[in-house]
Amino acid sequence: MKKILCLLLLFFLPAFGLRAAEPLSVVTTTPDLAAIVKAVGGEQVKVESIAKGFQDPHYVEAKPSYMRLVNQARLLFYVGLQLEIGWLPLLVQGARNPHLTQVELSQGISVLERPTGPISRAQGDVHPEGNPHYWLDPRNGILMARRVAQELKALAPTNANYFDQNLKLFESDLNRRRQKWEERVTPFRGTEVVTYHKELEYIAKWLGISIIDYVEDKPGISPSPRHLENLIQNMRQHKIKALLVSNFTSPTIPQAVADKGGAKMIVLPVSVGGEKGIESYADLFEAITGRLAEGLK
Amino acid sequence: MSEFFSIMGPALAASLLLTAIFVYFGLHIVRRGVIFVDLALAQVAAMGGTVAFLLGYSLEGQGAYFFSLAFASFGSVVFTLARSKEEMVPQEAIIGIVYAFAAAATVLLVDKAPHGAEHIKYLLVGNILWVSWNTIGVLFAVSLVVAIFHFFFRRNFFLVSFDTEQARREGISVALWDLLFYLSLAWVVTTSVQTAGVLLIFSFLIVPAVCGVLLSSRLKMGLLLGWLVGAGVSLAGLSLSYSWDLPTGAAIVCTFGLTLLLIAILKRLIVG
Repeated sequence: MKKILCLLLLFFLPAFGLRAAEPLSVVTTTPDLAAIVKAVGGEQVKVESIAKGFQDPHYVEAKPSYMRLVNQARLLFYVGLQLEIGWLPLLVQGARNPHLTQVELSQGISVLERPTGPISRAQGDVHPEGNPHYWLDPRNGILMARRVAQELKALAPTNANYFDQNLKLFESDLNRRRQKWEERVTPFRGTEVVTYHKELEYIAKWLGISIIDYVEDKPGISPSPRHLENLIQNMRQHKIKALLVSNFTSPTIPQAVADKGGAKMIVLPVSVGGEKGIESYADLFEAITGRLAEGLK
Repeated sequence: MSEFFSIMGPALAASLLLTAIFVYFGLHIVRRGVIFVDLALAQVAAMGGTVAFLLGYSLEGQGAYFFSLAFASFGSVVFTLARSKEEMVPQEAIIGIVYAFAAAATVLLVDKAPHGAEHIKYLLVGNILWVSWNTIGVLFAVSLVVAIFHFFFRRNFFLVSFDTEQARREGISVALWDLLFYLSLAWVVTTSVQTAGVLLIFSFLIVPAVCGVLLSSRLKMGLLLGWLVGAGVSLAGLSLSYSWDLPTGAAIVCTFGLTLLLIAILKRLIVG
């Protein structure tokens, strides 16, 4: 009898083991972070993003499902640098989840436009912690993926090897494709462009494109007539060929500026899920570099 | 069901609290015909918050709250003066002008602040779903103080709103009680606008009161019916938001609109 029991126990043990290793429940603020978590976590992670790819992550409307997501998750990854400051603290507080680990992925990233020295309000459009759109450089994506792997391993150590393997694959794939992307835009290195919002700095820096001016001189505020006039003159003087905008931006003003300044408006997706067919982190750069190479010709 | 309460519980408590205090104010406001006074007060309070923000205070902190309160109190003084100078200029015109001025001045002010426009948007939109128990506690305390004050002096407040002539005959200072009325409204609006947002507060203030007036000519009955409608709509709007995953504030506001329509049609059918 005892033997049979022991055998039965041995037979069922793996089943108990499997039950314990339920996929880790992860929530992210943006779909880009979700795509990275999915790549590293694979089947051992269930990940969902709060903002959708077509939504501006600066602003998110309160919905009950977001509370449920955060309430039931073990891990929360967010961009930080005050990108989500308007809603994330409230959401986390409202979701009342004592088991939630919150991870800001900006640590270790070399942030652009981080002000040095004391900042005052008089400086106008200075973002107090620097430009938060850092996921738009694949080299930063690798740093983010490493951090994600580290956090996943801490919470699910039994799957450490699996996460490491996925991370390796993600890195090698991204590095291989990065060369192709860079080559694609190489002919346009040094090209001067104008953008709408300060959200394309990381792409521009990575690909060697120089942004000389913005349609929106202060973030979140519609440009003044005098600024637009100066901008259009500036664009004509420098013979600017392209005005870059993100897919969040309403095209009316930038299109008018591009027409008057003699430039072409290029719409770039800045988020996974922002356009049909952009489902992975790599898809995003495939689309961005393709669009740039096409538009800057 | 328990998940409903764990997610929507604080929002439900806040909605019921807002119903309790704003339905009462709504009866006064509908009677006085100063329908948009809360929008103007909220906008002036936001302007105060913006000034505090520019002076380096955090928008969530005490400093910004007191600036908002000071500005809204100044607005109350303006509205009080607008009524005593009545005849030629309707009070609603003054309220509209104050609203437009405060909104435009806020735009000019935030023009100097980084990401300022977003901050101001949060001041006025509110997210009732994400309200904390702490905020509800503060709101409850303020509402309680205001309610006790109004209950104690209810005769004066009602005379000044509903029968100004009688108030004057009895030697009650209309200007003083007007000022106290607007100050207490300003206090409640300033305290709740960051939680609920202007649209939702407007709905809590006006819709149940209008329903109450539609259904009964008696004041007490109107107040009771208004409370009933407000509580019912809060529960219905939150349930809709929960089951269909809709933005919560907007769901409640639309439920209010549809409820009013339904009540008006039913009344028409029954009374003829």
